Amino acid sequence: MNFLARLGAPVRGFLEFLGDQVHLVLRTLRFALLLRLGQLPIVGAQIRLQIRFTGLQALALVSGTALLLGAVTLIQAFSQLSGLGAEQYIGVLMVLIILRELGPLLTAVLVIGRSSTAIAAELGAMQLNGEVDALAAHGVNPYQYLLLPRWVGVLVSVFALVVFFDAAALAGGFLVAKLKYGVTFGFFMDSVRQTLSNRDFVATLLKVVLFSGAITFHACHFGLGIRRSQTEIPQAVTRTVVTALVAIFLLDGLIAALFYF
Amino acid sequence: MIELRDLALAALDGRLLLKDLALAVPRGGRQLITGSSGSGKSRLLKVIAGTEQPLRGRVAVGGRLLWPGDGALTLTGRVEVGLAFARGGLLSNLSLRENIALPLRFRGLSAAEVAARVGAALDRLGLLSVAGLRPHALSASARRHGNLARVLALAPELILLDDPLEGLDSADRATALQVIRDWELDPGKTLVIAQEEPGPFAGAPWCCFAMPSLPVLLEVP
Repeated sequence: MNFLARLGAPVRGFLEFLGDQVHLVLRTLRFALLLRLGQLPIVGAQIRLQIRFTGLQALALVSGTALLLGAVTLIQAFSQLSGLGAEQYIGVLMVLIILRELGPLLTAVLVIGRSSTAIAAELGAMQLNGEVDALAAHGVNPYQYLLLPRWVGVLVSVFALVVFFDAAALAGGFLVAKLKYGVTFGFFMDSVRQTLSNRDFVATLLKVVLFSGAITFHACHFGLGIRRSQTEIPQAVTRTVVTALVAIFLLDGLIAALFYF
Repeated sequence: MIELRDLALAALDGRLLLKDLALAVPRGGRQLITGSSGSGKSRLLKVIAGTEQPLRGRVAVGGRLLWPGDGALTLTGRVEVGLAFARGGLLSNLSLRENIALPLRFRGLSAAEVAARVGAALDRLGLLSVAGLRPHALSASARRHGNLARVLALAPELILLDDPLEGLDSADRATALQVIRDWELDPGKTLVIAQEEPGPFAGAPWCCFAMPSLPVLLEVP
């Protein structure tokens, strides 16, 4: 019996965690619908703050990473393709590796590193300082003032960053193709365009929505779960990073299986 | 206004602070909660405010069931509550003025009314000169007065004050006490104060509830 209890404890813990995530999402959605017109500017200001931190301030980092990644991918792959006389497949390569997979995935990883850690630490500190209690006690719904703006802010930011990531990666790839192999812009873009399909856009959009939800609500769950002391904050941040990474890799696998398997 | 039944409270470390508490505070009542440090007074206030869940029992405020239930969210837009914290409670990324204004703006009051109420509350507690500062830049007594100013600006029907006079110098203490005395004269306000000793609130019209002094260890089955 003791053995069975030990065996079941992690499963129960995981199911409780999943239940809490669903609870947070549903409550945030519910209270979003109950927002009054006069409250929109207050929530809007919080959303703008989140977009500035998660999106705008990460733009250079994401674009730089993508530019290098696009260039390196093309350097590594083009020599092989040209040896086989298969230069026309550079578009296929870019779409398969960068646009379909690495764009959304690496953007999410960077956002987890920069923003979900910050959200978890900030909410944890607010919880310890009685700020969340003060909001709730005085009629400022924390779901509307804290969770909803972070979710919307991360969603908008991740969407924008994925677009910039893809564009910068393509630019990096094209630069290498042009400088080293003399590929024209028209040839490069035609090759990419022929491989891209509507399915890729839908899959990317789905990834953006699910990844941003996972990033935000993991951080909120662990941040708001802090109750006792400041030593819990780094633990919550670590848990947020680990579980959010696992979640986005799982979601990425699921979406790949759903759309391309 | 407040109805507690079969209430049990536990501290974060698992100590049972209180059990089988039944307490009713009528509308316009004056309730004092006394007890030593660590006895759970602040926790009890938070349970009444709906921000902390009790171990078990029922808590109703203004006829609305808080626990078991959604806590403070049940009261939003129905019963106005003001809670002055003993420590913390002010949002670190907002100035004192913004902290006091936020609940009023969220309630949907016009900008002019928010400015008037916030200005009056800051003036009353002598905080106008530091209104633009964030909580970390304020003195401990200014933070405490800031909490009181937020309650004053909200003008709620239920006022919960956690150690409102603790650690204040004589001038600040007199200011805070005068604000509380004015609330005391208003029959529309229900007041609950938690502090170690009754102090200036001993005797009528205050009813006193003393927290158990020796918390027993909680045994979880």
